[in-house]
Amino acid sequence: MITAAELEHLAALARISLTDGDKESLAKEFDAILGYVDQLKKADAALDAEGRVGTVKNVARPDEARPVSAESRERLLAEAPDREGDFIAVKKIIAQD
Amino acid sequence: MIPDPTKLTIRDAHAQLKEGALTSAELVKACLDRIAERNPQVNAYLEVFSDAMDQAAAADAAIAAARKAGGDFSPLLGIPCAIKDNILIEGRTASAASKMLEGYRAAYDAVAIAKLKAAGAVFLGRTNMDEFAMGGSTENSAFGPTRNPHDLERVAGGSSGGSAAAVAMDGALFALGSDTGGSIRQPASFCGVVGLKPTYGAVSRYGVIAMGSSLDQIGPIARTVSDAETVFEAIRGDAGAAEGMRGDGTAFPDGAYRPARVGGAKPVIGVPRHFLGGDGVDPAVLAAFDAALDSFRAKGYEVKDVALPNVSYALPVYYVLMPAEVSSNMARFDGMRFGLHKDGADGIGDYFESRRAGLGREVIRRILLGTYVLSTGYHDAYYNRAGAVRRMIAADFAAAFETVDLIATPTAPSPAFKVGEKASDPVAMYLEDIFTVTANLTGMPALSVPCGDAPADPSRGRPVPLPVGIQLAARHGDERALFEAGKDLRGEVQ
Repeated sequence: MITAAELEHLAALARISLTDGDKESLAKEFDAILGYVDQLKKADAALDAEGRVGTVKNVARPDEARPVSAESRERLLAEAPDREGDFIAVKKIIAQD
Repeated sequence: MIPDPTKLTIRDAHAQLKEGALTSAELVKACLDRIAERNPQVNAYLEVFSDAMDQAAAADAAIAAARKAGGDFSPLLGIPCAIKDNILIEGRTASAASKMLEGYRAAYDAVAIAKLKAAGAVFLGRTNMDEFAMGGSTENSAFGPTRNPHDLERVAGGSSGGSAAAVAMDGALFALGSDTGGSIRQPASFCGVVGLKPTYGAVSRYGVIAMGSSLDQIGPIARTVSDAETVFEAIRGDAGAAEGMRGDGTAFPDGAYRPARVGGAKPVIGVPRHFLGGDGVDPAVLAAFDAALDSFRAKGYEVKDVALPNVSYALPVYYVLMPAEVSSNMARFDGMRFGLHKDGADGIGDYFESRRAGLGREVIRRILLGTYVLSTGYHDAYYNRAGAVRRMIAADFAAAFETVDLIATPTAPSPAFKVGEKASDPVAMYLEDIFTVTANLTGMPALSVPCGDAPADPSRGRPVPLPVGIQLAARHGDERALFEAGKDLRGEVQ
């Protein structure tokens, strides 16, 4: 049985605010879903950290800046809720005395 | 002009366009008329693009030029299609049916879209879906459910319900969907159309709004197996060197898999009978499935039993791994860079308020579930264990494919259910995916093909017959075996 405190902790990790009503219904649903997936404990599985499926493995692109056209940059910036020039504007995260 | 061009297959429409018996403008206009008539009830389309007729005019000009030169042209030139709302088309809205991305405009084309543009397809509009592709009924859309064109009291399936319904209501000749656990195949089954989940990596994921990155795949929904094949051939592969298209590393090059057949003239079909006996499977679905197997036998196919010892764990594995990947992928929606913004007390408060306001219940449920299975203390018991069992399931399928070429099951355990019937019971909804998640967990390709109807049965609350689909799965890279068998079942020319 998942507790309200555990749900609050998860919601804090996931950056989502929950109401008390949410917590109540989510607790019930969590119990049903976790009860279902708990049958995995019966599987005779050897846990190893590695492993892949098929011949597929993660491919990361090189960590390098790609040139972007001015139009493309503008299209991306146009989606920001708030901007100043070519910057995305967000609230201050360090308070000033 | 053809009496009702909206009912044409891609193949027949192409032939008519080539002969000059039909124009793309006539075809697109007929689809737009059908959408205007049907969409108010069905809600398959979230938006119909206002420039569809302009696109058709451009296609007709290209067709005229090709005809004048006496040359052939792309089988998709001038063919109208519908695109799921989580696949990016440059300059157009892509909302993933979420308040979070309402009005979000894509800055670039998905690779699959760039390929369709190069082939000359006409984009009619974007289709409804479960929010961020999370659901099996399209009831989780922030913009209202899609209803099944066969019975408006019932769901179209999901999450690509809008795409399947658009094709089933003759509102497009084909559609693109995305499939993370059955989201192309189950709605195709519910709506009586063909749906393909290609091999993982066969189609680039660049430009699809990510849900579960080790599971997601874009694929076609169409009226015939042959049409699904035509679309698959057009969208497969990575971006390549074509101008304006960018590589992405989410698609493998041709020839990455070299599947070898055990069957001679026809693929051998395996049936995991031990997996079909559960009490959750509708008897009318099993009857249609068995009739399809008989039809295969009558056409010279060998059909035999196969064992998949760990397959019953597939759904629990999926409902651990998928939410884990969801919780990671959904972290990008922070209310700062794009999408909905709601003011909080401070910077981090903006996260909490924006995510709370923008995301629906099922999405929040899966994010929290994913956060749980990845958190300290539960990581081994859930996420790592699920990963290990996933590999056991993949090994089961690999062993089965030593003796058969295809594995057949029903696509979904039931025909389309009623709107609202499963909305308050997440586990009942998740059980919809029981036969489809295996293809996403293993990466193998799978096709849903209509195989008859669940007959009308007023005593079971079923006033009209409802479509049923059979699912065929194949080795990695062997879509050809799916198309071959699917066409045989439907009596289509090879």
